[in-house]
Amino acid sequence: MSTLVIKNLHAEVDGKEILKGIDLKISEGETVAILGPNGHGKSTLLNVIMGHSKYVVTKGSIFFDDIDVLKLTTDERARLGLFLGMQNPSEIPGVINSDFLRAAVNAKSEKPISTYQFYKLLDRATKELKMPFDLATRSLNEGFSGGEKKRNEILQLMLLEPKIAMLDEIDSGLDVDAIQVVADVIREEQKKGRGFLVISHYARLFDLIQPTRAVVIVNGKVAIDGGPEYIKRIDQTGYEFIKTELGIEISKEENNMNTVSIGSCAVKESIK
Amino acid sequence: MERTIISNKMSNKFTLESSDSKFFLLYLNNYSEKVELTVSNNSNVDILILNLHDDTVVHFDVLDNAYLHVALLDHKSTKNFKISANVGLNSTFSAHFADFIVGECKGEVLVNLNKEGATCDWHLASLTEKNDKKEFDVSVYHNSPRTFAQMDNYGVCRDEGRLAFSGICQIYKGAHGSKAHQNAKIMVFDRSSHGVAKPILKIDENDIEASHAAIVGKINDEHIFYLTSRGLTEDEAKRLITLGYLKPILNGFVDDDIKKTIEDLIEGKM
Repeated sequence: MSTLVIKNLHAEVDGKEILKGIDLKISEGETVAILGPNGHGKSTLLNVIMGHSKYVVTKGSIFFDDIDVLKLTTDERARLGLFLGMQNPSEIPGVINSDFLRAAVNAKSEKPISTYQFYKLLDRATKELKMPFDLATRSLNEGFSGGEKKRNEILQLMLLEPKIAMLDEIDSGLDVDAIQVVADVIREEQKKGRGFLVISHYARLFDLIQPTRAVVIVNGKVAIDGGPEYIKRIDQTGYEFIKTELGIEISKEENNMNTVSIGSCAVKESIK
Repeated sequence: MERTIISNKMSNKFTLESSDSKFFLLYLNNYSEKVELTVSNNSNVDILILNLHDDTVVHFDVLDNAYLHVALLDHKSTKNFKISANVGLNSTFSAHFADFIVGECKGEVLVNLNKEGATCDWHLASLTEKNDKKEFDVSVYHNSPRTFAQMDNYGVCRDEGRLAFSGICQIYKGAHGSKAHQNAKIMVFDRSSHGVAKPILKIDENDIEASHAAIVGKINDEHIFYLTSRGLTEDEAKRLITLGYLKPILNGFVDDDIKKTIEDLIEGKM
């Protein structure tokens, strides 16, 4: 059984430190819910684990068993068995979804999959996800609805069979029925022993997939690493108890909004 | 696919009808004389041109209620060429140009939409690399009411390649109800390469619809991250993105061997 171990992880983006010492452990077979207020580092953590070039790791380590993950490129991490289902999957014009999926399946296997085998696999996965098969023949995510994009992420999870799957707000943009479909698939994948790191703001998904642990990230650090009962508590009372009970001051999300308002000249503002 | 061969060795003027066969292969020998082709009224003709030559001048007259599709593939060292078309009543000039020309090239395409209902549908996909220096000027003139133009110029530029797209869509006074849409996109792979897109709209009529878009930029980092996060290497990701960028041009080709050649050219196998 493989384990991902994150120790004292610090990471910054554009010189601004977002992760300020994350410690976290997850093994195959576990499902960990990641919670926390907006802008405190949940998505950043998943992107750093996957190796997004925008984020710079300044301190700390990530090991997958005895392999130093930070030394690997993104594609090597993927082939190691890490997967990230993205919050906003890229739309890539002209790249046919099935061509891409097949290239991805081939990337992790030693010998290329036959056309017949691949389409059998794809057919089964799209049926399970109640996805129209024609999505496979269209440009990757281009013109997909929010829900279709998210299902396409889960489709990739099914085809790639990672050891640890990270899902970043996979339920946003999904209607009630679609959440049920996605949750059914996740439950099936849990049975196969995959580990899950799941970010969501809603208890509905967690009710359906029954996490084994809950981790709350506040101010770029893990504030709580405990049982799944925290999910219900946060859903009902919010994050206030973190301040009152643990004495952790929750820093406000910085206002990064464009300060240009109607009536002022955007060009002038930008050269100030 | 069976195509009737026509060549400028035989004559410089051809009149094409779709009575016997609608598929032609225009074979251009290295003569610099202008070749003129007329597509008759009510005809539907598909012409394949394989490789132009230096100083090639090809002119099409698409008469009334006719449809002409030109599929053009060039992967030789053509230096300059001119293609022009006059389009008649309710007729269409449609073209797909797969450009893999090597070296320096200056190409000019000029389409006159002369009568009501005339349409120009232009697609260009260019792979510019290894010190290539190419410039394509594609212009469409709307001389009559309700004339339509869609122009898509796509390019990939790498390894010290230089690529420029220019061209004018001009809608004259009185050409009301016309539509003109221009798209120019160049993906620049590295710092040594250079791309320029200059779409121009000139409009003298109010009751029309027109748009132009120009994008010149490097591959989106998010796209690379997305593809590599699924286990594809960066090179493989770039290859897929390039294919995706240029591959739609294949829609304009019906001959399987030509399609295969274009795919191989895109993948750099030739």
